[in-house]
Amino acid sequence: MSGLQVQLYSSSPIRLQAEFDCGAGELVALVGPSGSGKTSMLRAIAGLWTPADVQGCIRVDGQSWLDTAAGVHLSPQQRRAGLVFQHYALFPHMTAHANVALAAGPGWSTADVQALLKRMGLDALTQRRPAQLSGGQQQRVALARALVRVMPTPSSAKASPTPPAVPGVLLLDEPFSAVDAPTRQTLYRELAALRQQVSVPMVLVTHDLAEARRLADRVVIVDAGQTLQTGQPSRVFASPRNARVAELVGIQNHFDGRFYKDKPGWARLRWTQAGGGPEAIDLTVVDKNKIDDGTPVTWVLNGEQVDVLADASTPALGDAGATRLRCRLVEVLALGEISLCTLTPEALPAQSITLNLTTRLLERLQVDAGGWVQLLIAPGALHIMPVRETLA
Amino acid sequence: MDWPALTVSLTLATLTTLVLLPLGLALARWLAVTPWVGRPFIEALLLLPLLLPPTVIGFYFLVALGQGSPLGAWLVASGIRLVFTLEGLLLVSVLVNLPFMVQPIQRAFAAVPHSLREAAWVSGLSTWQTFWRIELPLAWPGLLAGMALTVAHTLGEFGVVLMVGGNIEGETRTLSVSLYDKVQGMDLQSAHVMALVLVGVSLLALTLVLAFDRVGQRGRALQER
Repeated sequence: MSGLQVQLYSSSPIRLQAEFDCGAGELVALVGPSGSGKTSMLRAIAGLWTPADVQGCIRVDGQSWLDTAAGVHLSPQQRRAGLVFQHYALFPHMTAHANVALAAGPGWSTADVQALLKRMGLDALTQRRPAQLSGGQQQRVALARALVRVMPTPSSAKASPTPPAVPGVLLLDEPFSAVDAPTRQTLYRELAALRQQVSVPMVLVTHDLAEARRLADRVVIVDAGQTLQTGQPSRVFASPRNARVAELVGIQNHFDGRFYKDKPGWARLRWTQAGGGPEAIDLTVVDKNKIDDGTPVTWVLNGEQVDVLADASTPALGDAGATRLRCRLVEVLALGEISLCTLTPEALPAQSITLNLTTRLLERLQVDAGGWVQLLIAPGALHIMPVRETLA
Repeated sequence: MDWPALTVSLTLATLTTLVLLPLGLALARWLAVTPWVGRPFIEALLLLPLLLPPTVIGFYFLVALGQGSPLGAWLVASGIRLVFTLEGLLLVSVLVNLPFMVQPIQRAFAAVPHSLREAAWVSGLSTWQTFWRIELPLAWPGLLAGMALTVAHTLGEFGVVLMVGGNIEGETRTLSVSLYDKVQGMDLQSAHVMALVLVGVSLLALTLVLAFDRVGQRGRALQER
């Protein structure tokens, strides 16, 4: 079994329920708010942190680094984890070269380390100490120091064209948080290039959704020590498994409701007033036979799939299955070409929908704040999730 | 100038520093990184010599080593003399100087960010290698400061020396004790010279301590950047 597999469970000092894997050459991002436990998971892989009552296993290329059932628990030195620390943790009294050479095994000569630093664009800076390097340069030294732990040794690479894979992982703990935006863009590109050359599992910890979306093959959403959902970024962002994931991935427009089965293949989503007033709106949705009749649900309205029509428009033939919703445009924040609009449904004035509309569309509809529009909501614009089971 | 006294003082200062350095290093490193509930008590015990009058320490030392105590009786039976000898003076000097050696070193080790230790471990360095190659080079200014303070304080010690060592020329009469003798004997000329030597050495030591501390601070500033 190649790649990294992680299954960790503990209840103290923090509750942990982590299940994810990362293939060789794959980049998986652990995403979650601060304090969610994502860094602890990374440190557990490196062997720097072990909860007292941990159960589970960490395997890398079939090798057990941790296996509580079999009593296996390797020290950080025995694991081959290249870890890039959030603030790099470079040794301040050593040159860039010495920092990397310290982590390199016996298969690495001085010239090999020099060659690696050159590949990282640091050949002119190898004799500098960390304090004499910029943030981006420090990050590259930290990355080089992590890489020498997981790359095949240059001597073995010379001996055979396909050097044996080192059972290692590359772990990146918020590696881009301490550099300025232009440097970050450069480092993103370099990480992408690096992935062409090194095929070890890479785990990235970040609280930045855009970064995860841009860099990762798959994302793992982490909250309160638990891995909630794993998948391709586009899939997780488009169809969050539950309301908490939707909240964590920053989806606007998620609401409560109840699911009722209708004629075969169709269902009604009853959108009720928060607090349970009598007012309600029924939205037509497709019944995929996954949710029982009468189930309380949370649901997300995907703003990109909502059509905005003039208030005077009349139902048309192409509307079949879609729900028409008369809404008041409460607020318009013009942000250049895009305007951030807040709308409240006529039948549920306490609820509000946020939509990013083009300023051109608003001009065409000739509507301002305080005016009325109609929303045409196709079943496909609604994503319905059962209410997340409350955690014991 | 009482040259034998200066020799005794310098010998005592050198030996105290050499004996105390490994001891203080081990204690300081342990106190700096080990989370333990009993730690404040140990730290208070180490700081006690700073607050107690030297006569109190000297008194307990004499009681502990006198023939009336089991330890003293055992020492006499073994033929080891500690009271009124340089060896005894060294022993008590090591105890009294513990805070001066341990404090700066402990602060230096505590200032080494824990992430550097972890970075060393994941780089494959054992705990021992991490100590020698990462922690010790970074804590070095603290070691120098501790040594300078110990030397200066040993040269200036008076009460303990008088109580434990007595006033034996060439054996336990140190510069500060000799200075006292000279003043008693109205030999103010010699007293002036010796006082000046002590002032000079102490000033030099303190200057070095502050200089090393600055080096240490610069090192820390580099890591935080």
